[in-house]
Amino acid sequence: MDVNYINPILNSFASVMPQLGLTNVEKKGMRLKGRFIESPGVMIIVGIIGDIRGNVIYGLSLNDAKKIASTMMMGMPVDNFDELAQSAISELTNMLTANVATNFSNDNININISTPTLVHGEFTANASSDKVVCIEMGVNEMVIEVNISMEKNTL
Amino acid sequence: MKNVNIVIVDDSPFQIALLRDLLTENGFNVVGEASSLEETIEVVTDTKPDLVTMDMTIPGTDGFECTEAIHKINSNIKVIIVSSMMDDEIVRKAKKTHVSGYAQKPVEAEELTLLINRVMADEESFLELEGLYSAIFKESLLNVFNKLTKTSPEITNENNINVEKHSAGISIIMGIIGKYSGRMIVDMSFESAQNIAKVLIKREPKNNEETLNVMSEISNMIAGNACSMINKKNKIFGLRVAPPTTFHGESISISKAELEAIYAANAKTQFGDLSISIGFGRGEGEWMSII
Repeated sequence: MDVNYINPILNSFASVMPQLGLTNVEKKGMRLKGRFIESPGVMIIVGIIGDIRGNVIYGLSLNDAKKIASTMMMGMPVDNFDELAQSAISELTNMLTANVATNFSNDNININISTPTLVHGEFTANASSDKVVCIEMGVNEMVIEVNISMEKNTL
Repeated sequence: MKNVNIVIVDDSPFQIALLRDLLTENGFNVVGEASSLEETIEVVTDTKPDLVTMDMTIPGTDGFECTEAIHKINSNIKVIIVSSMMDDEIVRKAKKTHVSGYAQKPVEAEELTLLINRVMADEESFLELEGLYSAIFKESLLNVFNKLTKTSPEITNENNINVEKHSAGISIIMGIIGKYSGRMIVDMSFESAQNIAKVLIKREPKNNEETLNVMSEISNMIAGNACSMINKKNKIFGLRVAPPTTFHGESISISKAELEAIYAANAKTQFGDLSISIGFGRGEGEWMSII
C-alpha cells in the first residue's frame, strides 16, 4: 500500500498544537533516514496497528520538551524534566497520533495506536523498517522530529 | 453479569425520579442519589456503588469536580455523564477525568441500559486481562527461551511497581494494541544480548546491529506468543503487537507510563540477565457514548 503519511501528520499538528497554546506550526523539512535514529534527547514511541503497521517515533531536545511541557501546563516553570513534564509530553504525542489516526480514517485507512512510551537520555533508536521518513516540524521556534517507520501489514 | 449498584447525581429532583424509574425498571439497583458535591461524597462513601450517573450542571460545582471526588474515594467506580449538554470541550474534559461514557438527555431506556452494560462489561474484561496477562507473559518468555536455547531462565523479583526505569544498555519497546492497549519492554546489557545472540546464531555476532536484531526478534516472539495466548482465552481482547523498536546507548531512562496494570520481572538466564515489563491501560476503548 502506498500511503501518504505527510498530510495526516501536518493536519494533526495544525489542529492539536493550537489547542495547547502552541500556535506557530510549520513543516521545516522532510528526509529519508536509515533505521538508526540518533536521539535528540527525548523520544516517544507510539505503535501503530491496522491497515498499516509500524511505529511513529517522535524526537525532540530536552530543552524543547521542557518548554512544550511548560506551555501545556499553562506556563508553569519546568526546570527538571520530571514525571509531570514527561507525562505532558507523552500525552501530547498520544493526542497527535490519535489525531493522525482520525485523519487516516477519513481516507479509509483504519489504524489503532498503542500507549506512548517516553525514553530520554543518550541513545540511538533502531526502527523496525529500513526506511524511515522523517518530518521536521517547527513549533514556536522549537523542533519536533516525526520519524515514521512503517511496514506493509502482512497479517 | 452481577447486579449493578448505581448512584444518581443530578440537581433536579424530576430528573432523579425519571432516572430512578428508568434504571430500576431495567434491572439496576439504584442505591442512592445526590444533588451537591458534599452529598455525592457522602452517598458514594456510604453506598459504594459500581457506577454513578453524573449530571454536568450542579450548583456550586460541576460534573467533573464530582467525578474527581468519586475517583478519590475509589478509582474503580465508573462514572457516566448523563447531561443535556454535549460538545467537544466537554468530551475532551470527560476523557481526561476518566469518565467511562456519555449519554445525552433526554435519555432513552434502551440506550442507557446498553451503555451501562457495556461500561460494566468493559470493567469485567479488564479485570479478566489483569488476572491473566502476567502469568501468560512469563510463560511465553520461558517457552521462547526453552525452545531456542533449551535452557530455563529463573524468574525473580516479580512486581507490579510502575516507576521510571533505567536501561542496562539495550531496551526493546513494543506497543500492544487491542481492546486495551499497552506495551512490553525487554531490557538487557550489551553483554547479555551478545551472549544470547551467539547461542542463537551459533557464532559471534558480526556487529551490534545483528545482536540488536536477534534480541528484537526474541522480543517479538515473546510478545506475539503471549498476545495469541491471551486472545485464545478470550477473543474480545484482540491483542496485536506493533513492530519492536530497539534503543541502545549510554543512558536510557524509560518514563513511567500511564498504565493501570503493570507486571515486571527479572529473568536470570545462563547467558546473562534480562528484565521484562508489561503494562496495560484501559485507554480509549473505555470511552463510550450513545449520542
